[in-house]
Amino acid sequence: MFDFLIHVSIMASLYAVLALSLNLQLGIAGLVNFGQILLFGAGAYGAAFAFSNQLGLAAGIGAGLALAVCVGLLFARLGRGLGGDYWGIATLAVAEACRMLLQTGGDLTGGAQGISGLPPLFEAGSRQDAALMTLGVCLAFLAAVYWLCRSLTHSRYGLSLKILREEPQLAVSLGYNPNALRTQVLVLSSMIAAVGGVIFAHYISFVGPDQIVAAETFLIWAMVIVGGVGNHFGVILGAVLMQFLFAFVPFAKDLLDMPSDYVAAMRLALVGGGLLIFLLWRPQGLVRERIGGGHRGG
Amino acid sequence: MIKIENIIAGYGDGPNILHGINLQASKGEIVTILGPNGCGKSTLLKCIAGFVKPRGGAVVLNDTDVTPVPANEKVRKHRMGYVPQSDNIFPSLTVAENILMGARFLPQATRAVALKRQFVAYPSLADKATRKASALSGGERQLLSLARALVAEPSVLLLDEPSAGLSPAMVHEVFVAIEEIRNSTGMCIVMVEQNAFEALSVADRAYILALGQVALEGCAADLIADPAMRHLYLGGDPEATTSSA
Ligand SMILES: Nc1ncnc2c1ncn2[C@@H]1O[C@H](COP(=O)(O)OP(=O)(O)OP(=O)(O)O)[C@@H](O)[C@H]1O
Ligand SMILES: [Mg+2]
Repeated sequence: MFDFLIHVSIMASLYAVLALSLNLQLGIAGLVNFGQILLFGAGAYGAAFAFSNQLGLAAGIGAGLALAVCVGLLFARLGRGLGGDYWGIATLAVAEACRMLLQTGGDLTGGAQGISGLPPLFEAGSRQDAALMTLGVCLAFLAAVYWLCRSLTHSRYGLSLKILREEPQLAVSLGYNPNALRTQVLVLSSMIAAVGGVIFAHYISFVGPDQIVAAETFLIWAMVIVGGVGNHFGVILGAVLMQFLFAFVPFAKDLLDMPSDYVAAMRLALVGGGLLIFLLWRPQGLVRERIGGGHRGG
Repeated sequence: MIKIENIIAGYGDGPNILHGINLQASKGEIVTILGPNGCGKSTLLKCIAGFVKPRGGAVVLNDTDVTPVPANEKVRKHRMGYVPQSDNIFPSLTVAENILMGARFLPQATRAVALKRQFVAYPSLADKATRKASALSGGERQLLSLARALVAEPSVLLLDEPSAGLSPAMVHEVFVAIEEIRNSTGMCIVMVEQNAFEALSVADRAYILALGQVALEGCAADLIADPAMRHLYLGGDPEATTSSA
């Protein structure tokens, strides 16, 4: 049971990182990214490519970051020609296209089987010790990302990101460059998500195309919406809450005496249902966005 | 100083909206642009600001040809301020944040002072400094957009109907404020207006547009006194308008 709790906590903190990365785009800059999971996948596959070329963790992080930055730049480029909603659909299309490419990538990507056998982050001690240390790394990274997002939002720079979602044209008339801002925020959040992907790949020791299906993106979206779009703390809360609910679905299944194939269906129902409930009755999420955050920078 | 030379402009592959407009505004001068709805006043301001690319002609700011310079660059390099006719506030930012957005190119140390100065100039905004801008009334939004444009003390200021939606007393106040700014900073101000008599009473010179062309131009005082102009373009008698203000 303790091992299981550690596992759920690791997954919750990794999802929280992904949710923070999406929140930076969606909640702060108003970028409707439906391809979020690809940024994570870039990190995971970067780690896997490094591993299959007999390179270490540092190379994995480098490769993951490089791939993610490429995706981020591609997304930003698409954003120059496309308005908000169409851009969102384009990111979804790019993410799905990349997943299919990875699936049919042959030896390089391991195809549908993916790449397995990545070493864990920590080899020393018992399995439980290694898992605890991994959890420590995840929590430290989550804390760092949270701190980064918070300081960004409270800064003048964060304020200029916020106007991306409001009146980009007006922002231009005040001397801002929305294209540059969009590119910067996409590259930054890509890098955050990619590091999460690298940690995940080494923790699970396997990377495959099934990990980056569109449903994962919508799960991250649900976490952000349930937690409170624009509020970093709320978004972490949303991720942790949903991840723990997910983890206890199998127990609920046993309690209610349902067949095992209901587990996946119940999880989907949780995501969809949770989204609907919040969108209809509490669109601001568990914790609403604070206004006036950037005023202090005066 | 702003100099517009023979500007021809339109949108997309549509017809020309402006058919060769010439306009000039010197340092320390208030120039107003009047004319019926849809005659191209806002389009002209957008050409100067850099949001509409002219199909012909040139925009000259302080003796430099800035026709191809993008809008955001003009703000930084040529200290241009522009207040659009609509969508001119950031609704989910607070009033104070909105004003600070206009202070991007001020040195960090002077920003707080500049913000305070705007609050002194517009006390009704000071009371609502930490409120979301979306909670302001139409007239307050108008004031906010003006305060934001002024916070950085631009050298040329383009205003698209700064008095739209304001009560008569506020209209007067805004024009007094604009005149004071000009007097204290020597800014060059070009404003599009519908409150023709109020605008003419603070302006030095005026251009009257019709169908994308300058129909009449001249000294503001002369234009007010000209009965033909009054009848044709300003729709009535000045006494009737000013006495109600
Ligand atoms: N974005 C646009 N795309 C296409 N045509 C436009 C656009 N904006 C304005 N127009 C057209 O250009 C012409 C001039 O519009 P403009 O906004 O410059 O008028 P205006 O003189 O400012 O009018 P108003 O007093 O109503 O503000 C109008 O016929 C309008 O239909
Ligand atoms: Mg107009």
